[in-house]
Amino acid sequence: MIDKRNDKLGWIFSSPYLIFGLVFFLGPLVWSLYLSFTDWDLIAPEYDYVGLDNFLKAMATPGVQAAFWVTYKFMIIFVPLVTAMSLAVAVVIQGLPRFKSVYLIGFFLPYLSSGVVASLIVQGFLSYNSPVNEFLRGTFGIQIDWLGSPLSALFIVGLILAWKFTGYYALILTSGLESIDQEIYEAAAIDGVSDRQRFWKITLPLLYPALYTTLILSFGVTLGIFTEVYQLTGGGPNFATNTWQMEIFNQAFTNLQAGYASAIAILASLVTFISIFAIRKVLEMWGKRNGWV
Amino acid sequence: MVGSNKNNKRRLAVRYVLATLLLLVMVYPYLYMVLNSFADWSQVDRQLLPSQYSLQSYEWLLTGGEVGIARPWTNAFLNSVIVSVASTFLMMLFGIMVAYALSKMKFRGRDTVNNFVLFHMFFPAIILLIPNFLIIQKLGLYDTYWAMIIPKAVSLWAIFMYTNFFKAIPDAFIEAAKLDGASDFKILYKIMVPMSKSITAVIFLFLLMERWTELLWDMIVARSDNMLTLNVLLSQMFGPYGSYPGPLYAASVLLTAPIIILFIIFGKKFKEGMQFSLK
Repeated sequence: MIDKRNDKLGWIFSSPYLIFGLVFFLGPLVWSLYLSFTDWDLIAPEYDYVGLDNFLKAMATPGVQAAFWVTYKFMIIFVPLVTAMSLAVAVVIQGLPRFKSVYLIGFFLPYLSSGVVASLIVQGFLSYNSPVNEFLRGTFGIQIDWLGSPLSALFIVGLILAWKFTGYYALILTSGLESIDQEIYEAAAIDGVSDRQRFWKITLPLLYPALYTTLILSFGVTLGIFTEVYQLTGGGPNFATNTWQMEIFNQAFTNLQAGYASAIAILASLVTFISIFAIRKVLEMWGKRNGWV
Repeated sequence: MVGSNKNNKRRLAVRYVLATLLLLVMVYPYLYMVLNSFADWSQVDRQLLPSQYSLQSYEWLLTGGEVGIARPWTNAFLNSVIVSVASTFLMMLFGIMVAYALSKMKFRGRDTVNNFVLFHMFFPAIILLIPNFLIIQKLGLYDTYWAMIIPKAVSLWAIFMYTNFFKAIPDAFIEAAKLDGASDFKILYKIMVPMSKSITAVIFLFLLMERWTELLWDMIVARSDNMLTLNVLLSQMFGPYGSYPGPLYAASVLLTAPIIILFIIFGKKFKEGMQFSLK
C-alpha cells in the first residue's frame, strides 16, 4: 500500500510538528549546548569560549546547590501530602450513589487555578493583618513569619501545589478504586478478612496502576516548580525554596548570564532525567516485589 | 441483615458529610477570593467573611490603575484571550493533523517521527527556555503576540493523546471512505474529528487552562505594558498593589471565572473523555 503519494501526504500531515521540532527543539538543544561553553551575557556582540568553567562555577554556587536539594525537599513534602489528600478524597467519593460527579467536579476546580492567583490568595490570607495572624497574635501572642522561615515557606508552597493537584489525582484514583470488582470484597468478607488485610492484600495491589500514575505525575510536578516560588518567596529565604527554574530564570533574565544559565539548565535537565528514571525504577520494583504488576 | 443495612446507611451518611467538609475546605480559597473581590477596600484580607461589600474593585479594573496605558486590566484580559485562543486552536489543529499521520497514514519514516515525538515529549523542557527566547528575538518577534503564540502552537501531549485515540478507531471506517473517493483531509474532518468529541473536550480544556495560566514564558517574551497577559499583569502588580489588594482579587476572579465556566459547560463531555484517557 505504500506508494510515493502516500509518503508525500504523510510528511505533509506531519510537517507542523517537524518544523516545530526543528525550530523549537532540535535547534535550541544544540544552541543551548554551545552557549553553555561560552561567557555570553545576552547583549555583547562578542563572547569567548570558556570550556567547562560555567559548569564548574555553577556546581560551586549556593544557588545551584540549593536548587538541587530543594527539588528533593519538595518531593518529601508534596508527594506524600498530595497522595494522602487525593486518596482520602477518592476513598470517600468512590461509589457514592448520588452527586458523585458534583463532588468530583468540585474537587477538580482548584486544578483550573493559575499559580499566580493561588499565590495571591495565600499571600493575602497570611498577610500581617489577616484574620489568621490577628487570631494567633491575639490569642497566643505569637507572630509567625510564614514565608520568611525556610521550613514553613517550603510547606506553604507544597500545600498550594497539593491543593491544586488533589482533585485531579483523586479523579484518577477514584476510577482506579471503582474498577475493583466488588465481588472480590464480598468473597473476602465471607472468608473473614480483616480491614487491614483487605487494604494491603486487595485494595492496594489492585489500585497500584492508578497509584503509579499519580505518583509519577506528582514527582514530575516537583521537578518544575516556578510560579508559586517566584511569586511568594523569590527562592528565599536564603535559597530555601530556590528551585531549578527559579535559579535559571534569575541567572538568565535578571543577571543576563545566558551562557552560565544554559550550563545550569543542562545540569538541571540531567538531574531531572536521572531522577525521573530512578523514581520510575523504584516504583516499578516496589510493585514487582509485591507481585502487583 | 437489617442491622447491616442500617450500618451501611450510616456509613454512607458519614461519607457524604466527610465529602462535603473536604469539598468546603478545598473550595474555600476560591470563596475567599470572590468575597475579597467584592469586599470594601478597608476589609480586604482583614476578615474571614467581610461584612461590607462594594463594587470598588471591579470599577477599578474597568477604569483605573493607569500604568503606562489606560485601562491596563481590560487590555490584559483581551491579550490573554487573543493569545490563548489562537495558541489553543493551533495546538488542537496540529495535534489532530499530526496524530492522523502517525496513527492512520502509512508512510516511510513514520516510526522515526513517532519515536522522535516521544523523545521530545519526555525531554526536560527547562533546557529550551533560553535558546527559545533567543530564537524569538532573532526572528524579530520579541514583544509581539506571535512570540506567545508560535512557540506554543504545537502540543506534544495533544499529539500523543490524539494518536492513542485515533489508533482505537477501526481502519474499516477509513478504508470505506477511501473507496468512496474521500481525501485524507475529508476523512479527518468528516470522520475522525466528529468521532473524537469527548477526548477533544478534555484536550481542549487542559490546553486552554495551561495556556491561560502560563507565567514564565509570557513574562520573558512580552515587555510593553500593552502586551502583557492578564496572568503576567497580575503577577507584576503584587508589589505595587500591596496595600490595596482589592483589585487584585477582582482580577483573579476575572482570570479564574472563564476557565471554570468553560469547564462546567463542557463538563459532561469532559467526563466521558476523562474516562477514556484514564483507561
